[in-house]
Amino acid sequence: MIEFDLLRLGSSQKISIADDVRTDLELDKIVSVASKGDELVAKTWFDVLLSKKTSIEDVRYRQEAVKDALANREVVTKMYQIAKEGYEKAYREVFIFRLDDPRLVVYEASNGIKILTDYLEKLLGIVSNANFTSRAFKGLVESFTSNIDEDFIAKAREISETLWLGNGVDFRVEIGPLNNLVNPVLLVPKNERSFLNRLLSMEKRYTYKLDPRDEAGSTIIDDMIKWVLSRVATPLLNAFDRLMDFFKDLARQLSFYVGAINLSDFLDELGIPKTYPMVDSRRFFFENLYPLSLAVSSKSRPVPSSLEINVDGSFAVIITGVNKGGKTTFLKSVGQAIILARAGLFVPADSFIVPTTGAVFTHFLREEEITFSYGKFEEEVKRFKKLAESLSRGDYVLMDESFVSTNHVEASVVAENVVSALLDSGINVLYITFLQDFLYRFVPKNKNRAVLLVPERQSDGTRTFKLVKGSIQPGYALELWKRIVEKQQGAS
Amino acid sequence: MGSRGIRADEQVLSDLRIRELVSLILGKERDEFLWSLFLEPLDSIDSVVYRLNVFRDLMRTEVYVVTERLVEKVREALSYLETEKEAYEPHKLGLHLDAALTYIDALERFYSEMLSLGVESDGLKGFLDYVRSIVESEHFKAMKEKAMKAKEARVRMVIRVRIMGDRVVVWRFDGGVDMEKVIEELFSRFRSEESRKVKYIPTTGGMSHIHAAILEGAFKFYGSEYKALKEFYDEFPKIIDDGVAAFVREIPFYMLYISFMKKLMSKGYSFTIPRFTSDGRIDVRGFYNIMLAEKTGAVPNDLFTSGEKRIFVITGMNSGGKTTFATSFGQLVYLAKLGVPVPAQSAEIPFFTAILTAYPAREDPRESLSRLEQDIVRAAEIMHRSDSSTLIIANELFSTTTSDEGFQLAKIFLEELWRKRSYCLFITFLSGVALLDFVISLVAQPSPEDPLKPSYKIVPGLPPSEYMAVRIASKHGLTYNDLRMVVG
Repeated sequence: MIEFDLLRLGSSQKISIADDVRTDLELDKIVSVASKGDELVAKTWFDVLLSKKTSIEDVRYRQEAVKDALANREVVTKMYQIAKEGYEKAYREVFIFRLDDPRLVVYEASNGIKILTDYLEKLLGIVSNANFTSRAFKGLVESFTSNIDEDFIAKAREISETLWLGNGVDFRVEIGPLNNLVNPVLLVPKNERSFLNRLLSMEKRYTYKLDPRDEAGSTIIDDMIKWVLSRVATPLLNAFDRLMDFFKDLARQLSFYVGAINLSDFLDELGIPKTYPMVDSRRFFFENLYPLSLAVSSKSRPVPSSLEINVDGSFAVIITGVNKGGKTTFLKSVGQAIILARAGLFVPADSFIVPTTGAVFTHFLREEEITFSYGKFEEEVKRFKKLAESLSRGDYVLMDESFVSTNHVEASVVAENVVSALLDSGINVLYITFLQDFLYRFVPKNKNRAVLLVPERQSDGTRTFKLVKGSIQPGYALELWKRIVEKQQGAS
Repeated sequence: MGSRGIRADEQVLSDLRIRELVSLILGKERDEFLWSLFLEPLDSIDSVVYRLNVFRDLMRTEVYVVTERLVEKVREALSYLETEKEAYEPHKLGLHLDAALTYIDALERFYSEMLSLGVESDGLKGFLDYVRSIVESEHFKAMKEKAMKAKEARVRMVIRVRIMGDRVVVWRFDGGVDMEKVIEELFSRFRSEESRKVKYIPTTGGMSHIHAAILEGAFKFYGSEYKALKEFYDEFPKIIDDGVAAFVREIPFYMLYISFMKKLMSKGYSFTIPRFTSDGRIDVRGFYNIMLAEKTGAVPNDLFTSGEKRIFVITGMNSGGKTTFATSFGQLVYLAKLGVPVPAQSAEIPFFTAILTAYPAREDPRESLSRLEQDIVRAAEIMHRSDSSTLIIANELFSTTTSDEGFQLAKIFLEELWRKRSYCLFITFLSGVALLDFVISLVAQPSPEDPLKPSYKIVPGLPPSEYMAVRIASKHGLTYNDLRMVVG
């Protein structure tokens, strides 16, 4: 049996809130660069990027294959084209629109097998000359070439040609209850031209010739042929389906690597560096990480950012500060990079280390949640509850202004409860928030595993769109109040 | 079947809704003979007991299953013989053989299995003796032997056929390679996700002249096998015994009824074999309406009299189940007279010779008589025809006159029935009738949870002193005092 697995997705499903994550992190922009409009690439990318479970081993396996694909880009691209073309050609030319007409099924399925056999032959030609080094691609080539050879292609051709031509049927049949003909077995046609065969069969055959005016008879004969073909139609159809599945599956798995080649080209063009992420359970670290979706929409190299946190089971990054300071861009770029990292892809940075290969979940502010209303707050809480139900240890939760649909005092309490609970459960949290009570209580309390980031301002007041570590300054508001009030008092 | 009954009175069939009932029992079965059996109550207690005993046997699951299979198989054999009449010669031989094989096997299995199960009723015991005489006969044994030989011969015939254009060629089969296996082997190296199946239903039959021609061909290569089939056909022209055929026609009367019973029993309803009292006593517990049980659910009720008082007057709230109660009891008596189990937990009743009904007819403008006149005519007819073993069910007779006069008429009518010692269920809104000293008063009870709704329980007691309509009015503040205070 031909077996290969270029993706190692196993039976992993997409995460429960895949659509939210896709929108919040602007994954469509990244995927558009990878797919260049190829729908199959796009679909596979979303499957991989949003997949729920990924082990370190899976990540290494895919990283190795991505490197291999970049090194053998012509072969990979060619294989993908053949697989896709074969599938699409058969899909276009084979019409099995009903399963109750064995004659139609046999004709169409054998035509399909004929078409796909040609493509198998082409694949065989390319694969035989490939020089892969990764486990993924080596496995594919090995399994394919040990199952498909010249002999297989010749036999598949012979069968499909014979059944496709449909020159009558030759079958074995028994006489069953009520003297009905039963158990028809379609036979591989005998070579009637051999002299001996003809000589032997001459005297022992019984021939019935249909009267040309016998229309009912010809309908019955037609029906009888369908009856004989009905048994062979199912395995033939299955053979065709199996071939189709093979091509479809091959194209799908290759499409991921085609996307990787495209994304790599894009980054190279903009001069953005690529790094293959590492996993280190004690660190969350990156250096010059470029916001990828921003690079896609601006077609330029944006401002990169860097971060280093020691991780003790889990970590929290709390982000606050003035608007337009690049907070959301930062949050998105980190989310995108983690997603690329666990997919086994390269990341647009000089270096990138993640503590886990957990999945990324997002809980971003929805525009309609800005007004205060307990109804809306309830909705928001429900949405968060749904997200929380599918979390596992090691996952990442990216929150952008969660819990703002009620007043900040009670929202802070909720936020503190939620974030503490996540952190204590081994979930990593990145949270943009203005909830003051929360900031002043949570950050000092979690000194060892939480960091506070604020937009950088240079001494002259200009913004750099970088985030830097900040600190909590207790009494700031009081001071501010005092300041303003006293200023006014002073003025009056 | 025992003896046949006498066609029931049309009025009764219609008032007691017997046709709807039979239609439920028979389901899709449209056999006229079976229908007519259900419309013919028996007039002797012996014939009823004969049938009820057959029911006792057949209600045992094992006996039922064995009998059911015999019926199915003999019907199958009969259908082969029917087809044979129109078939081509090569098919005739096969149909005839399989009719015989099916019939022989069915009869032998029925006999041996029934013998080990043991049956008690005269009906089934008699038939079993009859079957023994058949299966032990020389004729039957010879038929079986020849049939088996012919069957073995048929299995040996294996041919190769080629269809090419308008030509069909037949050979004796001498080996070949199965295309299906070749395909499966070749493509098994590709993984299979889910497999689609080609489903083909031939539009033409399998017994055409083309099929016949192929068989002719086969017979040419298999001479001695053909001879075995042909000889069987010639030697045993008649396959199915007439007595067996009659049994297969009659026994569904029991089987259809039993399968109907089982359907209701699976919903928790009971059926019982009725007992017939000789002292005039009626003691029926937990009887219910079959039609309601089938559809929405039915409430069971009891009916009792020692036989001293025989007239039941049923009063009580609107839509409280009074008519259903009376109709259900009428149906129960009717079914008992058919000799079938009845819908109740237990049923002891006299053997009624006749059931008479008087239900309100829709006023028919073509009829010259008014409703009151019709009631009186029917009442007179009933008084004339009834005796001490008659059951009368009267539903709101004399309701189209004043209460006072209606009461007078009812009193006269019931007094006459009382004198004749007839049984009667009399539904009325006139509570005075229920207070007559020779009647048993039954009352439709409200639901204990909500006194404005019925419970469908009908129990002995005095008619209600307060009217439902008044109670409803007070609930909404329409009493005298309330209105006074509001109007002030």
